[in-house]
Amino acid sequence: MSKLAAATPSPLRAVWLKWRFHINVLLLLVPLGFMPKYFADAALFRGDSGIGERVAGEVQVGPWSLTLAEFRNEGPRPDPAGPMKFFNAALCAACADQVKATYLRIGKPRSLRAAGVIFFGTPYRMGALLPVPERTPANAELWVTMEGWDGTMHQGSISLSQASPATIAWLNKQGVKP
Amino acid sequence: MTLIRLNRACIALLLCTGFCSTALAHNPMCECKEIPGEQIECTGGFSDGSGAPGVTLDVIGYDETILVPGKLGANSTLTFKKPSAEFYVLFDAGPGHVVEIDQADIQPQ
Repeated sequence: MSKLAAATPSPLRAVWLKWRFHINVLLLLVPLGFMPKYFADAALFRGDSGIGERVAGEVQVGPWSLTLAEFRNEGPRPDPAGPMKFFNAALCAACADQVKATYLRIGKPRSLRAAGVIFFGTPYRMGALLPVPERTPANAELWVTMEGWDGTMHQGSISLSQASPATIAWLNKQGVKP
Repeated sequence: MTLIRLNRACIALLLCTGFCSTALAHNPMCECKEIPGEQIECTGGFSDGSGAPGVTLDVIGYDETILVPGKLGANSTLTFKKPSAEFYVLFDAGPGHVVEIDQADIQPQ
């Protein structure tokens, strides 16, 4: 009796024994579904697909200029320090060795100390994580401050709606905060 | 048993890679509130949960004069008397690592 019981598997085990090969082949197919996103992300991180998902345009900053792009074409992401939006930028070819630091801020900076967040990275591809206050007005301007190695400082701006329509959509969705 | 552990480790690793970009960032944070006695208490820190003892926190007038030059104490806070002139608070952890709080954004008591 005990030998017979050992020989006939339970119905669930029978199904497993019959289909396990096919199920495992299906499991191998699962990663294929993620491949397009994986390769798109890899190209974005390596820079093969440009400096960001959406290039906002050129910002003239005194004698210099930079190309500003949204790293991801999406609204700000939540963070313990408040909603954050990642921007990438590339300095103009002529100014790459003249500019010491580049800062980004919503609204005109009061001083160089309060110029906003600093861009990290090489002049050809640098990034900054910009805090976006929830009560930012939809007509806000994004200000770029550049500090040169010669000590000069220049400022330029681009409208937030041009820099990141996704952020404007996010602000409109949030509603006006007091 | 080892296989199960390995599987668990793999799943944890996969989850970590999904969230690592946000976990690595440590942005400056600062919060100010009014406390009794016409005073303002500001607390600084970073988004990774660390405190900011010794970091500069200046109270600056709208005319850019520094009204209260200060540094955060061992408990990452600084208390100062509310200035009579219009002002903003600047938590300054280095170039590009600043938080500005306008007087209008300071929570009343």
